[in-house]
Amino acid sequence: MRSKIAALLAVCVGLGFALTGCGSDDKADTKAAFVYVGPVGDAGWTYAHDVGRQYAEEKTGVETAYVEAVPEGTADFANYVRDFIDQGFNVIIGTSFGYMDDMLALADEYPDVVFEHVSGYKMNDTNFGNTFGRMYEPRYLSGMVAGATTQSGLIGYVAAFPIPEVIRGINAFTLGVQAANPSAQVEVIWTSTWFDPAVEGDSAQAMLDKGADVIAMHQDSTAAGEKAEAAGARWVSYNSDMSAFAPNAFLTAPVWNWGPRYVEIIEAAKAGNYSPTSFWGSMADGTVDLAPIASDVDQSVVDMVMEAKAAIIAGDLHPFTGPLNDQDGNQVLGAGEVMDDGTMLGMMFFVEGVIGSTG
Amino acid sequence: MKRPRLHLREAPLPGGQPLAFAIGLTIALFVGTLLLLGAGHDPVRIYSRMFEASLGSPDAWAVTLNRAVPLGLAGLAVAVAGSMGLWNIGAEGQIMAGAIAASWVARIGGDWPGLVLIVAMLLAALGGGGLLAVGPAIARARLGVNEIITTLMLNEVAIRLAQWLIHGPWKDPGAHNFPLAPMLPDQARLPTLFSRAHCGLLIAVAVIVISSLAVRYTAWGYELRIAGSSEATARYSGISLSRKILTVLVISGGIAGLAGGVELTGTADRLTESISNGFGFAGIIVAALALMRPSGVAVVALLFGAVQIGGQSIQTLGVSSSVSTILQAFVLFGAIGAGVFSRYRILLDGEARAVPEEVNQ
Repeated sequence: MRSKIAALLAVCVGLGFALTGCGSDDKADTKAAFVYVGPVGDAGWTYAHDVGRQYAEEKTGVETAYVEAVPEGTADFANYVRDFIDQGFNVIIGTSFGYMDDMLALADEYPDVVFEHVSGYKMNDTNFGNTFGRMYEPRYLSGMVAGATTQSGLIGYVAAFPIPEVIRGINAFTLGVQAANPSAQVEVIWTSTWFDPAVEGDSAQAMLDKGADVIAMHQDSTAAGEKAEAAGARWVSYNSDMSAFAPNAFLTAPVWNWGPRYVEIIEAAKAGNYSPTSFWGSMADGTVDLAPIASDVDQSVVDMVMEAKAAIIAGDLHPFTGPLNDQDGNQVLGAGEVMDDGTMLGMMFFVEGVIGSTG
Repeated sequence: MKRPRLHLREAPLPGGQPLAFAIGLTIALFVGTLLLLGAGHDPVRIYSRMFEASLGSPDAWAVTLNRAVPLGLAGLAVAVAGSMGLWNIGAEGQIMAGAIAASWVARIGGDWPGLVLIVAMLLAALGGGGLLAVGPAIARARLGVNEIITTLMLNEVAIRLAQWLIHGPWKDPGAHNFPLAPMLPDQARLPTLFSRAHCGLLIAVAVIVISSLAVRYTAWGYELRIAGSSEATARYSGISLSRKILTVLVISGGIAGLAGGVELTGTADRLTESISNGFGFAGIIVAALALMRPSGVAVVALLFGAVQIGGQSIQTLGVSSSVSTILQAFVLFGAIGAGVFSRYRILLDGEARAVPEEVNQ
């Protein structure tokens, strides 16, 4: 009898240890895992997210981890996420559009885990929100620099897919170009890929051959810049400051700064008060920004751009303000009208001055 | 200069495949250990995670089996063509074509009952994959055009077709202009067997068994192997080569297409550009490691699947995707490649052959 009681006690004590052990290990500790669509070494989209992850790890002291080059629309994404959750990760951040529905389903399956999706539009009421940024603001500014720089009046824009995010960027850029140089034109070339250095480079070359002397892009590699550098042309990169890859060609770049937003999400998860939102960060809160402008650009141009930047941050300037016509000359906004977020998010037309088709 | 070639041994090495497998795996793990140490990781932790995630629990088995299904079907597609000495490098595109065809059925049959819809989708997938192989098959059979080139090039065509559909006519009107195909209807989802393993496993096993039996035991399969080993013999015995080429390549494409259908109904929510996920190219490796024998494909696909899933899992421990890929390649070629050497030996051209005039197995 006595031995039985002793055994029972031992089991209880053991169980107690096990439970408290589990509690302190799995519940209190916040661990954040990031799933990237590209390699962290792409110097572009994924690189910018990874810089944000490192920033968040440093600021919050929370352990983070990542997997890279995870394709969209396959079983891989959910496999990785389940692996992370098995290891006690309880914040999952997915940084590609195609993860959206998997994340929605996983958020339902794991109600104790916080899911945040970058670049999508779905969310739930408890543990799944989305994050993106008003990249059109610095795109507009980078267009001003490009417009002030071009001699030939033709700017080549190497772009991935005709989806609203990309089209919005092209339009904002073009409006910026026109603000600095009303007669300049922007010609779009589609690559049908986010990350393929060979195709991106060839597309940039095609525009250079056509007479473009500035290349802008909505791509994740640095290939377009390397072609511009070789041709003695100029380059507006994207995602991050890529000046190191084409030091002579580099003009400036609209860039992502994910760190502060990631800190916010992780802190909320840690405090247990995460609540899902559709976060659309801006230059005012620092989620998007303009990289330093090349030193050989005229100071008057820099001043003009900085003035516009201050006006955007202050809310006095919106890139999509009427009068605004589409490519075919149809009026989209009357004088003084400002485009609403819904129209911007679904934008499928080019503004006047863009050469190319959204189809 | 003498070229090394594989020659069939008179008898397999003592210990046979299992021993060779063990030795090969050991060598691979040893080399992998050096790689992991070089990259600053703890090999024991990494290897145990690899095993845990792929074969360590029923859940892990489910994930591995779901991966082995498309690998096995794609491998089978390549192996069936390979039995006749043909190279179908187009399985990747045929998987896509199968998925496209199955999605099309789901679009028109959205309100059909589950069983009918799924069967129709899978048959359409079979047809879609086969259809993509018809061109290369005719070109090879009638004109002698190399099927490696034509099947390879059609991969790009199929992927662009999917891209166009998703960005154009099949774009979900409810997706705010985002390039997404609509979700599949709920009843189009393959039922699960256990944990998250879906019924595609049964389909894959059935197709692999039937194909193996057909190649090994039927007159059709016998003719296939004759044609594969010697065209002259085939002609002499009255086998219509062009007809065989035609049927075999189309069947091969159909099997790959089926993989696309199973993947769509088994694991995907909708048609995506990446649904083929490299399975078609991996299938070439699966078939090659199975020595082009349909019967060997299942085992290789299972191992391949386990290595892929395990290899992916260790990335969550901080191993970079490139180190993980190299490690997967080591394990795969070490473990399975060793099986090849238990049955074959390397001789340089001109050296005495172990078997005077080997008969194709």
